[in-house]
Amino acid sequence: MGRYWRIFREFFRACFVEELEYRSEFLGNLVSSFFGIGIAILTIHIFFYQTDRLGGWTYADVLVLLGVFNTLKGWIDFALRPNMPRLLEHVRRGTLDYILTKPVDGMFYVSFRHLVFWRLIDVALGLGLIVYGLAEKHYMPSLVDILVFLITMASSLVLIYSLWMMLMTTSFWVIRIDDLSFIFDSFFETARFPIGMYRGWVRVILTYVLPAAVITNMPALSLLGKWNMATALIAGLLAVVFLWLARRFWRFALRSYTSASS
Amino acid sequence: MMIEVQHLHKSFRVHVRQAGWLDAVRHLWKRQYQVVEAVKDISFTIPKGEIVGFLGPNGAGKTTTMKMLAGLLHPTSGKMNVGGFVPFEQRPEFKKMMSLVMGQKSQLIWDIPPMETFLVNKAIYEIDDRTFRRTLDELVELLELQPLLTKPTRSLSLGQRMRCELAAALLHRPTVLFLDEPTIGLDVHTQEKVRRFIAEYNREHQTTILLTSHYMGDVTALCDRIMMINYGQLIYDGELSVLTEKLAPYKRLEVRFSEVPNARWEDYGEVAEVEDSQVVLRVNRERVAEVSAHFLQHFHVYDINIQDPPMEEVITRAFQEELSHGS
Repeated sequence: MGRYWRIFREFFRACFVEELEYRSEFLGNLVSSFFGIGIAILTIHIFFYQTDRLGGWTYADVLVLLGVFNTLKGWIDFALRPNMPRLLEHVRRGTLDYILTKPVDGMFYVSFRHLVFWRLIDVALGLGLIVYGLAEKHYMPSLVDILVFLITMASSLVLIYSLWMMLMTTSFWVIRIDDLSFIFDSFFETARFPIGMYRGWVRVILTYVLPAAVITNMPALSLLGKWNMATALIAGLLAVVFLWLARRFWRFALRSYTSASS
Repeated sequence: MMIEVQHLHKSFRVHVRQAGWLDAVRHLWKRQYQVVEAVKDISFTIPKGEIVGFLGPNGAGKTTTMKMLAGLLHPTSGKMNVGGFVPFEQRPEFKKMMSLVMGQKSQLIWDIPPMETFLVNKAIYEIDDRTFRRTLDELVELLELQPLLTKPTRSLSLGQRMRCELAAALLHRPTVLFLDEPTIGLDVHTQEKVRRFIAEYNREHQTTILLTSHYMGDVTALCDRIMMINYGQLIYDGELSVLTEKLAPYKRLEVRFSEVPNARWEDYGEVAEVEDSQVVLRVNRERVAEVSAHFLQHFHVYDINIQDPPMEEVITRAFQEELSHGS
């Protein structure tokens, strides 16, 4: 574990150096992050001109939810998104061979080798929005709230990672990657809103099949004090199951890669 | 023995498809498969510290064999042992003792200087600071990397990049090195440099090296022993010089005359080229001395040159001979 942490730090360092090559991007990223979150808040604002509740959530609640969403989105853009096109390149050009001959877990390497650390701005903005939402609601989360929040948030990170990894693994067979991240984005966008907004089978799917709702709603609810230990544990369990599935799928893909390519 | 291979087989299942859109559509639900045997019953051993040249035309099975040795491909059947490990088990200890360099594929990251890739490898291979420094210093000196270390990889020439690739692959001091066409696309001067480096590195560290190449120069400069593979089968394994003698029992006799004699060249050997004042003959090894003495005595010879036939010629002959034996 400590070893992988060291390797991760080294990836981070190397990417930091890489991105300093393009210093001008910093400003652009900063602007786009602020703009993105500004538009999101504005949209919520417009909703609340018409109503004072959204799927049972108040304005301040939704701000916290949006904060969670933004934090998770920042995490995806920081660690996951930069790596997807690279894996495809590795498979297509055969440079995956180099990764597979290295004494490091291949799945770990392909998911974290490239980090775009400017996107941590989104994580910071998301956390800021969470704090702002709580202040707006005049709610001070208790220690237990925070603890459950941390558990559900960690589960969400793992869940997102697993779903993303499974999608990424399909690049062993699929050639067009833009479509792949589009699938993920459209699915993840649904997590921007309270699950209560969705009705019928859409809701069922978003809760159990593609747990987008669980990913953002549960951490937000925990922080607002409306948690439920059973669902938090289920989230944790779900995360473990999905991680296991992602791992299995990766193994399967590697097996077919190592027995087929020439 | 560093590398032991017994009765190695590898077959791939590839789907066959005819041209035309009708077949493309049919292909969607009904695929026809064909089994291609890429490697058929190959056995060999390589002792520690030896450099072996692995030759064969494109698609002969060189890269497939090498990938199996590096643990990247599962053999269909047969036994393999590299440095005490079974490659396809992909143990970390195995990965730490070997390295793979592919001339056509780069492990360096395009946008950043090679030094950054070296540092990432340092972390991955868990090389401590002191060892890393020492190894890097040595490689930098041998490969003349100093000015390249901090330039972005994209701005390096192909030759410069290849030298950095070699350094990246050797930082963890592998005891077995697989080189798949390391000099491909390089100019003659850089090829020479890379060869000299490989030879020196091997002498210094007793690294076992298996090398595939299209360039005869690589093989003649580096390897005493070669293995030839064609259609997935090992058709020759032994000393390079023996192969030359066996397959090319002649020498190349190049003679330039100051006064063109009237002679029947066929009487002396196989005629390769005739120009006004110059003739190139393939003369049997036993007759070379006699023929050249005869020329010098009876004709006005301006220049005479006796050479071993070029490797390309020998190899081509070997494969042709194999073909005629095979059919």
